Amino acid sequence: MEKIITVQNLRKVYKKETAVENVCFELMPGNIMGLLGTNGAGKTTTLKMITNLCSKDKGKIIIDDISLDSNPGLALSKVGAALDTPSFYQELTARENIECFARLYKNIPNGQVMELLDYVGLSTQAEKKVKKFSLGMKQRLALARAMLGQPKLIILDEPANGLDPQGQISLYRLICDMAKDKKTTFIVSSHQLHDMEKFCTDILILDKGKSILQGKTEEILSETTNIVDFILEETEVVENVLSHFRGISLTSHKGNQFTVKLESICLDEFIKKLVENNLHIRYLSMRKNSLQDLFLKLTGGVKQCIH
Amino acid sequence: MYPLTKLYAQKMFRLKLIYIFFACFFTASFFYAFLISTPQMEELLNINIRIVGRENFPEFMMRFYVGTVGILFNVFLLTLFICEEDRSKILYQPLLHGESRSRMIQSKTYVAVSMSIVFVLLIAIINYTTAFIRWGYKIFETAAVIRTIEKYLLSGIYMSCITLGIIALCICTRNTWKTIFFVAIYILTDSFIYSSNILFLQKIWIGYYLNLWAFSYEYQKMPLKEMLWEVFIMVLYGIMFYQVSLYRTKKIDF
Repeated sequence: MEKIITVQNLRKVYKKETAVENVCFELMPGNIMGLLGTNGAGKTTTLKMITNLCSKDKGKIIIDDISLDSNPGLALSKVGAALDTPSFYQELTARENIECFARLYKNIPNGQVMELLDYVGLSTQAEKKVKKFSLGMKQRLALARAMLGQPKLIILDEPANGLDPQGQISLYRLICDMAKDKKTTFIVSSHQLHDMEKFCTDILILDKGKSILQGKTEEILSETTNIVDFILEETEVVENVLSHFRGISLTSHKGNQFTVKLESICLDEFIKKLVENNLHIRYLSMRKNSLQDLFLKLTGGVKQCIH
Repeated sequence: MYPLTKLYAQKMFRLKLIYIFFACFFTASFFYAFLISTPQMEELLNINIRIVGRENFPEFMMRFYVGTVGILFNVFLLTLFICEEDRSKILYQPLLHGESRSRMIQSKTYVAVSMSIVFVLLIAIINYTTAFIRWGYKIFETAAVIRTIEKYLLSGIYMSCITLGIIALCICTRNTWKTIFFVAIYILTDSFIYSSNILFLQKIWIGYYLNLWAFSYEYQKMPLKEMLWEVFIMVLYGIMFYQVSLYRTKKIDF
């Protein structure tokens, strides 16, 4: 299958500060890549370099086999994007706004504008002026605008901002449906890690402009450590016994409550070892590291708040 | 015509502000035509109706627009058209829909320059209309009409070049207030250079020529050689401003 986008060694320096360094990835049709990172990690700069809104200092971007450097017009005709906060001509209606941009394309049939508005759930608000729209409605309208011309790649910069929980779910569903039915590829930057974990096929985490983790979501999450919370009858000598176990590490301990990370052994082996050492289990549960745990670990954890 | 040019033109001519401005200018021109004919007002405004009235009235009123009011009105519209669109992140939207940066700035330039020419034309129509209402057919004295048309044409070219300059400023500063500040500096410098005796500076200063036909050749025909030189200088300025806008637009990191 042909790659929709290939990004190689992307680099951007603002004055003396490196915003993006050596970012590489490639996506296939129907892939949804979650671009994650703290504020200022380089997400928007990366997206702007892909859409040619921002120059790059180094690197190569190939969209649907067309190099962005040699033929930016043709390459970008395959891309739809909604970046920054959604911006429109405020005094025009939703329909007029989309029509304005639809005129920039040669082959957009008359009915497609209303079709798109219907698709994003704004057909009843089509004749309402955009200045009366909520942020959530503007986000949907921005998605409709990004879908003009049926692009093969859609880039969305924090599309869930300003959306209520129902709105977020319906937006993610919409993205998933498009990726599945139309084989549209998506790059979505977001802070909604829980949702990204569910619907993204690929993950790229940026920190200080550098890619610190990337790959298929399933693989990333399967590689994450299993965490076991357990309560024992005993409190004494347990720590000493556990320190002799290979393939685990004790992460917390309070009274007879313990939390360990299973690094190279499975749960069965761990339980067996506890029993062999005459330790009596009162309670035990295992959980996996979520994308959020992984993200916090990789990006330096939660910053302390001063109250 | 590029669809983008059409889009920008529609956007520009939807601005109510333009219609309000020209309604105000018509009112001012109308009242001026009737007010200045009373002896008390002539004394108060220090003008002579026999000089500024009748066939000279359209030229007299042209100066009000081209000198300062027109430039300030243009800078106001163009900052809305470029800087405010840039601030609200709508300026780059066409780039996400298959348009190139050069096509984007070309379309903006076409619309802005056409707009400045149309505005001068509207000013001419308004001034001739009010003069006709006040003085009737007396305003159509052949030599004066030809001379006035020449000056309106020169004003159209001058305002186009100033518009190109304002576009370049908007693109370079990407800030409304900075653009207005630099234009205010230009207006102040302009009167200083006209009243100074630095001949070389005057010859290469775009605003000098406006003052020349507005004041030095007030109600007089201008020599053809002088007019051609003025047009040449203004076109040079226009090309330079346009190239600066084009160059900067290609370099902007949105």
